[in-house]
Amino acid sequence: MTTAPARPASPTAEKAIEIFQSLIPPVICSSATLLLWQLLCSGADSKMPGPIKVVSQTVGTITGGFSETGIWMQLLNSLTRVGIGYVAAAILGIAIGVTIGVNKFLRDGFDPLIQILRTVPPLAWLPISTILFLQTPKPAENAGIFLIFITAIWPIIINTAVGVQQIPKDYTNVAKVLKLSGKDFLLSILIPSTVPYIFTGLRIGIGLAWLAIVAAEMLSTGAGGIGAYIWNEYTSMLDDSISKIILAVFSVGLVGLVLDRIVGWLGSLVVAE
Amino acid sequence: MTILVDIDHIDKIYPLKNGGEYVALRNVDLKINQGEFVSLIGHSGCGKSTLLNIIAGFEQASIGGVVLSGKLITAPGPDRMMVFQNYSLLPWLTVRQNIALAVNKVMTDLPAEERKEIIEKHIDLVGLRAAAEKRPSQLSGGMKQRTAIARALAIRPQVLLLDEPFGALDALTRGNLQEQLMAICEEYKTTCVMVTHDVDEALLLSDRVIMLTNGPEAHIGQILNVEFTRPRKRMEVVNDPKYYVNRGEIITFLNQQKRDKRRKRKVEVEKMAVPAIAAVRLVEKSVVTLGYVPTTDAAPLIVAKEKGFFAKYGLTQVELIADSSWQTIADGLANQRLDCAQLLAGMPLAMTIGVDRRRPTPIVTAMVLARNGNAITLSKKLYDDGVRDLQGLKEAIEATPELPHSFGLVDNVSMGSLLTRYWLASGGIDPDQDISLSLMSSAEMKNQLSKGFIDGYLASEPWNSAAVKDNTGFVVATDLEIWDGHQNKVLGVRENWAQENPKTHVALIKALIEACEYCDDRRNREEIVQMLARPDYLNLPAAQLRPGFIEPFQRSQDQAPELLLRFNQYYVEQSTCPRRSEAVWILTQMARWGITPFPKNWVELLERVYSREIYGKAARELGLQDGVDDHTLVKLFDGVLFNPDDPLSYLDSVTIHREICIEEIAIDEPVLKRTSRSLKTAA
Repeated sequence: MTTAPARPASPTAEKAIEIFQSLIPPVICSSATLLLWQLLCSGADSKMPGPIKVVSQTVGTITGGFSETGIWMQLLNSLTRVGIGYVAAAILGIAIGVTIGVNKFLRDGFDPLIQILRTVPPLAWLPISTILFLQTPKPAENAGIFLIFITAIWPIIINTAVGVQQIPKDYTNVAKVLKLSGKDFLLSILIPSTVPYIFTGLRIGIGLAWLAIVAAEMLSTGAGGIGAYIWNEYTSMLDDSISKIILAVFSVGLVGLVLDRIVGWLGSLVVAE
Repeated sequence: MTILVDIDHIDKIYPLKNGGEYVALRNVDLKINQGEFVSLIGHSGCGKSTLLNIIAGFEQASIGGVVLSGKLITAPGPDRMMVFQNYSLLPWLTVRQNIALAVNKVMTDLPAEERKEIIEKHIDLVGLRAAAEKRPSQLSGGMKQRTAIARALAIRPQVLLLDEPFGALDALTRGNLQEQLMAICEEYKTTCVMVTHDVDEALLLSDRVIMLTNGPEAHIGQILNVEFTRPRKRMEVVNDPKYYVNRGEIITFLNQQKRDKRRKRKVEVEKMAVPAIAAVRLVEKSVVTLGYVPTTDAAPLIVAKEKGFFAKYGLTQVELIADSSWQTIADGLANQRLDCAQLLAGMPLAMTIGVDRRRPTPIVTAMVLARNGNAITLSKKLYDDGVRDLQGLKEAIEATPELPHSFGLVDNVSMGSLLTRYWLASGGIDPDQDISLSLMSSAEMKNQLSKGFIDGYLASEPWNSAAVKDNTGFVVATDLEIWDGHQNKVLGVRENWAQENPKTHVALIKALIEACEYCDDRRNREEIVQMLARPDYLNLPAAQLRPGFIEPFQRSQDQAPELLLRFNQYYVEQSTCPRRSEAVWILTQMARWGITPFPKNWVELLERVYSREIYGKAARELGLQDGVDDHTLVKLFDGVLFNPDDPLSYLDSVTIHREICIEEIAIDEPVLKRTSRSLKTAA
């Protein structure tokens, strides 16, 4: 039975149709990709498993992923680390960003340093952070957190500082006429008007942090986490290792996307249109 | 009325990258009364927003300052709340929150309840109840500006500053908001200063419209009083015949300024084309020819030369050229025989406009050389008939209608002759119909008087005291009694000479100001008399030069001589400053007596002829005050107030006059395209 096109749809039904229609292109293209993958890897001597093989080989991994060394626990492990390092980077980054945004001397003074450090690739920090935290109870853990922190902080600082400088003159004029105190200015004008910039920095920061953690965990020993999981599977090279790696890689991508969207969504909540 | 905002002679100077400076505002002086609505209007770049920002405290004046109810403004504050053109609402706050932010942060001494009440009251005041919870992005332009106005009014500022508040709105919204603002201001008696481009807006809302000239050195060009009764209704205002007169005044002013801008740009371009060799020298020219007519008023010129003031400022070869008549001087300037000259007060304007079918010669006058110094002498016969004053003169003339009555004058555009005409007309004597005026040299007047050919004359000294001494006449009035401190002789230079030799011009004025100071010191007067008396200058016996200048002035044989300290005034009371208010008076009088048409573009003409920029520069370099208020009322002996910002109304009000023409004077165009409008015909 077909629906008569002339019949006016209810708003919810209309929305459902809209969502359904928007799903068509990604579904078709993804299916095509999977199909191509399956075809390319269907040869008997193919080292690479096709999608069907990947799924069949990882069912156990997915369901049993919540054990101590399971994939999900490792993912959570990484997420915790990112969470701590990132939150620290956000708090400190915003504070520093506001400070150098407000103070011209500090801004001019620190700008060259920040410009140099922000281009340093995350992994270049790894040896330094490992040595730094060698004496602490959990050196690998702490080094990872520090790496996240040092990677994520630069875009947050820079964007916050730019945001502070970009406060429209209209707003500062209002503050001047109303003779707002320093605290009032910070809370009523500076922070609200800088928020869009801060969230741009936070979003770039979370992306970089997540990029860094996987690589860091792969290289550092005894840290655990999803990076270590991938590396372990790679070194053990069992029958199902490649499938597990593919599953892990896909999960990393998915989590990265979700993190980015969460920060974006938080931003949209706070930023006035 | 109490003055709330006192903008006290402010200059705003910005330093330039090349080490020079840009003078945005020069000598802006304005007093704003409590409850008054004042608009600032002018072309872009005239500094009107700068002025508003200085009142707001966002910028500081370089010289002078703004005082708000007794306190100097140094920083922005809620007592001077600004309504910005782009609203400046905080986009993350709702209408209510935007207003609340201001109220809560400013009125901290009020209890929260009361503050809330104020917020709600002002939301209603601008009719935004329905939109109180909306953010600015959800509001129309008009609603945003209403929010901004509510925010500004809510904190009860002493002055509301509006920076083109309705510029970005469509016509309909603008109209509605103007009326709302007007109603609110009238209800709360808010003092407002508004910057605007819109002539109709300015007229509808303001009590006074302040018109600013173009920068650099922008200053108040004209002030228009808008006298529609309040509360105003747009339709009533627009239908008032005065509306179009006022509107025409502002538009004329703005058009003049536009033309002035173009001309200045052209002069700049021409200057760029000339290699700047002279730039390093102290003055461009050391040889200057300076014409004068030998009278005591020439004292500053002679003193400047003899006492070395010219040389002091690098003018080593100033050649003083004595001419026998003012006409010769005028011709000398026009045909470039002279660079500059001592002129009668009315001559710079008259020569620029062009009188008696002569080709107009644009003249710049940047300094007054002498003030006062004239007297009106009547014949002994009138004295014997009992005439003692103006009233007596009128009676005497009326008693003998069969006799010809005649007066002697030196020139039509001298201040003396304008004052004589004014004086006669104030007494009800029409200077052209009740008597006849004839032009003659001062020296001849006494003879004519003693022979009975004329009944009186106006002359400088010694021609009055000579008649008294011979007992052929008596002084009925000195010009001190008619208008104490009026300008009598000025320095005039050709406009193109002034443009080519700005440094020489300033040096010349500096030397002459110092000479004027020397002349006003009475200890120097005897020395000056000896100097003037020399054959190469006035070539007169010293005794003739002393009356009035040093010695007491005798009015008649029956009266004891009287010491008149200001009879010859050169320096005191900023005597040297060329006042535009006096120039406007001269323009109206010349028009009144049909000598010249009244220039419709009078502000433009004054800006060019009466160069306060040059005088200001010279005065500042000497450490003197560089200007006076050109917008105060002038009061003459008869008590009639003359408003230098409204000459047209003045011309409308005079009863005795010739046919008055009002014309656009196109100074730069060789073929005069004059669109003439006759204000009124001879009575």
